[in-house]
Amino acid sequence: MQILIRVESELPLYRQIMGQIIEGLAVGRLRRGEKLPSHRDLAEELVIAPLTVKKAYDELEAQGFIETQRGRGTFVSARLPKLKMADQREEIDAAARKLLSLAYMVGLELRDVIAILKKAEGELMQGAHAGHAGGGEES
Amino acid sequence: MSAILEFDHVARAYVQDVPVLKDVTFSLAGGEVVGLLGRNGSGKTTLIHIAMGLLFPQKGSVRAFGLSPTENAVEVKKRIGFVAEDQVLPVSSSVAELIAFHRYLFSRWDEALERQILDRFKLARNSKISKLSKGQSRAVALLLAICHTPELLILDEPAAGLDPAARRDFLEVAIQFLNRAGSTILYSSHYMNDIERMGSRVVMLEGGKVYLDASVDRLREDYCLALVSMEMVPDAKRLEQFPGCVRARGHYGVWHTVFAGNPETVKALLEQSLGSNNIRCERLTLEELFVELMGDM
Repeated sequence: MQILIRVESELPLYRQIMGQIIEGLAVGRLRRGEKLPSHRDLAEELVIAPLTVKKAYDELEAQGFIETQRGRGTFVSARLPKLKMADQREEIDAAARKLLSLAYMVGLELRDVIAILKKAEGELMQGAHAGHAGGGEES
Repeated sequence: MSAILEFDHVARAYVQDVPVLKDVTFSLAGGEVVGLLGRNGSGKTTLIHIAMGLLFPQKGSVRAFGLSPTENAVEVKKRIGFVAEDQVLPVSSSVAELIAFHRYLFSRWDEALERQILDRFKLARNSKISKLSKGQSRAVALLLAICHTPELLILDEPAAGLDPAARRDFLEVAIQFLNRAGSTILYSSHYMNDIERMGSRVVMLEGGKVYLDASVDRLREDYCLALVSMEMVPDAKRLEQFPGCVRARGHYGVWHTVFAGNPETVKALLEQSLGSNNIRCERLTLEELFVELMGDM
């Protein structure tokens, strides 16, 4: 799995795993229905405690991003839920403030920032379509 | 579930009336991985030696698997694996001789795990201990501690002095073992990254007592650091009166103030009460929290 654990990050490890799996889905690195490694295998790969991975999986399952099929393993859900706005709002607002202050420091204006966002959206969508090709049609 | 390891009001002094441990109480449930933290001299090793039955507690009691480690020394030691910081392996022995000796002592032995560790650390069975690198000899110590698949693994600064890559290798093997055996682990280390990777719960010793006992995730999510200039608040007592304030430590004209609470709430509370609109309030890594809580005033 393309997950990078940074102990120095301000997020606890299980939140880093959750965030990176959700991000993987958003950009198409992970596809609907794809099989995920077991929590024990992922723990060995990331060199962190199995319980920490299990906690991330449990939370992702409770939110509907992944599902465990008895005897078969853990899979990305065929139908992905929308993230809860309330959970993300704070982070989105903070990211917006950070982006704007950086942009203003180098002399950009709001419309330049909007242009940058549009360009980024184009790139993100391209990645998502490439990633979902062949995997997302059934829903 | 009954506790695998239980410290009950443990006290211990080496010199009369100078206790290293005054009153330590906590326990480990089956399958738990607990990081034991504390400054040098806080009594971590003393506590571990008490758990191993190498020292008596002068007050209180310790139980491993419900047994006394001193009265049932053999029974308890058979079920424990132990790696000590200063563990010296007999230098004239070969790796194979040490393995044979340990196999003879224990009824169970995981040969697959033994081979895996030997391969991982490029250890030849006929190597003399004196010829091994520091990382390799720590790996042998770990091999001898875990191949009898102990129910309780006690690691006392097992990776001290190893380079980061060797430490990661060591951790990888420990996590593979955890996956296979589901054992309970008590792990003392100054490497907070390793503690965080390995452990789900942290016990901090300070002043001979348990200063903090919480899950790593709780420490990450429920504690924060507020930076308040001493110009704005000359006396730390003012900060200590705020709800959730754990400790204020003066550092270069700034109060580093640890709060139990999330950064947004604490920031709002401080800004409103102190009449400011730019108080910095951030979450902490385990290492930063350790420094803020244990660092000198």
